[in-house]
Amino acid sequence: MSTHNEVIRRVAPAGHHRINDLLFRLRALVALIVLVIIFASLSPAFLSSGNLMILVKHVAINAILAVGMTFVILTGGIDLSVGSIAGLAGIVAGGLINTGLVLPAFGVVVYFQVWLVILLAALAGSGVGALNGLLVTKFSVAPFIATLGTMYVARGAALLISNGATFPNLLGKPELHNTGFAWLGSGSILFLPVPIWLMAVVGAAGAFLASRTPFGRRIYAIGGNERAAELSGVRVGRVKLLGYMISGFCSAIVGVIIASQLMSAHPATGETFELNAIAAVVLGGTSLMGGRGGVGGSIAGAFVIGVLADGLVLLGVSQFWQIVIKGVVIVVAVLLDQMQKRFSWRERSS
Amino acid sequence: MARKVLLVFSLGVLALTGCRQSGSGRKSIAIITPSHDNPFFKSEADAAAARARALGYEASVNTHNDDAHKQDELVDVAIANGAAAIILDNAGADASVAAVAKAKGANIPVFLIDREINANGIAAAQIVSNNYQGALLGAQEFARLMGEKGTFVELLGRESDTNAQVRTSGFHEVLDKYPGLRLVGQQSANWSQTEAFQKMETLLQAHPDIKGVIAGNDTMALGAAAALKAAGRPEVIVVGFDGSPDVLASIRAGSIKATVLQPAARIATMAVDQAHALLTKGSSGAAEKQSIDCELVTASNVDQFGVFTRK
Repeated sequence: MSTHNEVIRRVAPAGHHRINDLLFRLRALVALIVLVIIFASLSPAFLSSGNLMILVKHVAINAILAVGMTFVILTGGIDLSVGSIAGLAGIVAGGLINTGLVLPAFGVVVYFQVWLVILLAALAGSGVGALNGLLVTKFSVAPFIATLGTMYVARGAALLISNGATFPNLLGKPELHNTGFAWLGSGSILFLPVPIWLMAVVGAAGAFLASRTPFGRRIYAIGGNERAAELSGVRVGRVKLLGYMISGFCSAIVGVIIASQLMSAHPATGETFELNAIAAVVLGGTSLMGGRGGVGGSIAGAFVIGVLADGLVLLGVSQFWQIVIKGVVIVVAVLLDQMQKRFSWRERSS
Repeated sequence: MARKVLLVFSLGVLALTGCRQSGSGRKSIAIITPSHDNPFFKSEADAAAARARALGYEASVNTHNDDAHKQDELVDVAIANGAAAIILDNAGADASVAAVAKAKGANIPVFLIDREINANGIAAAQIVSNNYQGALLGAQEFARLMGEKGTFVELLGRESDTNAQVRTSGFHEVLDKYPGLRLVGQQSANWSQTEAFQKMETLLQAHPDIKGVIAGNDTMALGAAAALKAAGRPEVIVVGFDGSPDVLASIRAGSIKATVLQPAARIATMAVDQAHALLTKGSSGAAEKQSIDCELVTASNVDQFGVFTRK
């Protein structure tokens, strides 16, 4: 199938066709450049290094979610539970720092060092991701329904753990050796905030995994034609499971970053994050049908949404217009997606 | 298949009759509020439930998550279960009128707390904290802390929410009279801490010299304070609204300067007391519309306050 595509691509689009094709495929990047030019000309503060740093830090939240979401959407699935997993992971981290792990059977309370707390929160997120994967593969529940269910379960679990309250002042105590949680959200390495580094690492790892490994090729193969992939020996269930686990892991990282930035964990954190993540992935050119797109596009999509959000705040635009404009951008992106499909279909049939 | 259906059906009937039996004997009060992930609503529900149990009622506590449709269903359930009274923090001034009227039609008195509805004579009582008076208090303290001059930004609540509008108009009633105070940015953070954190960071970029932040509620004040701390600007004056336990702690620590406490727990207790009076004596002994004043909390008096009430 792929060789067939290659041949047509190489022969058919000549001249402006090729440029059109390129612009379509990189539309998130094009939109990003246009937005940056608009905001930079309207607000003098926009291009200051301080603002750009904060902007990228804000983008990091959605971009990390979008990287995980890309793996799920590439297989033709969807993950609605990412926001709830972020909330749950934050609560797990907050609870472990403030109250420790209470083991009533042994009558002890265990406190962990911060890196272990983060690891356990990430494990909790991957665990919910694995549950998503099992529901989708072993029990053949439609991804939309399975992750809708875990969305509620994870949110409820977060509320249960904290009894609806916030875990405040996540500073840890020196005598318990669990201080330093703030570094993850507000620390910096080489003048760049830690969340930006995390986005870079997650993005690079995601891009490598998707485009340079057998696992990545299997993800695309499943999204392209699941039956064909299965017949050619791909263990569809296992690959999909891993995809959902990656998404759960990324969501957990986001939850921990937010808890660290606010120095408090709130069980309602992450509501509607799933919609932003899906929007970023779609803006970035990944098809909701699966099999087409990639991690780089999703990160560009997250930047478009983030630049739009922060730029409009900088200009002092009202909340109502911010929502309308965000919606319009998403719809336009999907319209472009449809045009691209028709465009390449015409080429192939001619 | 048929056997399975029968099994499920009989289990359902069993569960329903079980509920009914446990409900009989004592009268019950249904307590319906927005989601408990906001400590404000949790504490009002807890306070109402505690008082109801102390007075010998069963208390059934449910949340409508600001969804008028879900609220309607919960009222239906309360009617079906034969609740003696309903304590309701409603899901919208207009959208809730029908649900309250339905309960009244079933002879169940509804005591509204925290939020009013746009209709008189159908609720047994509407007990709310005076948001406008509270906003004036908060704004006066904010102006005093600012030394009556300097630039500030305002974080608004969800703009479709009545309380968000009432609070901002109260703030401006006071602040607009000071020529030295200049509003340089006004953004909605939808009552959310995460959103307030990000909006505050961006606002600081556009207006690096601001001296104060006035927020429509406490969660947004906490988000703004966290952003200011991260930006190395802890001296910026932050004032919130609600009197949540987290903000009381921040006032003690100095990162937030003041808030306005809504006596939510006291209002909830009052509502249950009035319901009890109506059920036992035939009269609640109070007018339908009751407005309870908010109180200013600052570093000097913070120790006098507990969870949404004066100690």
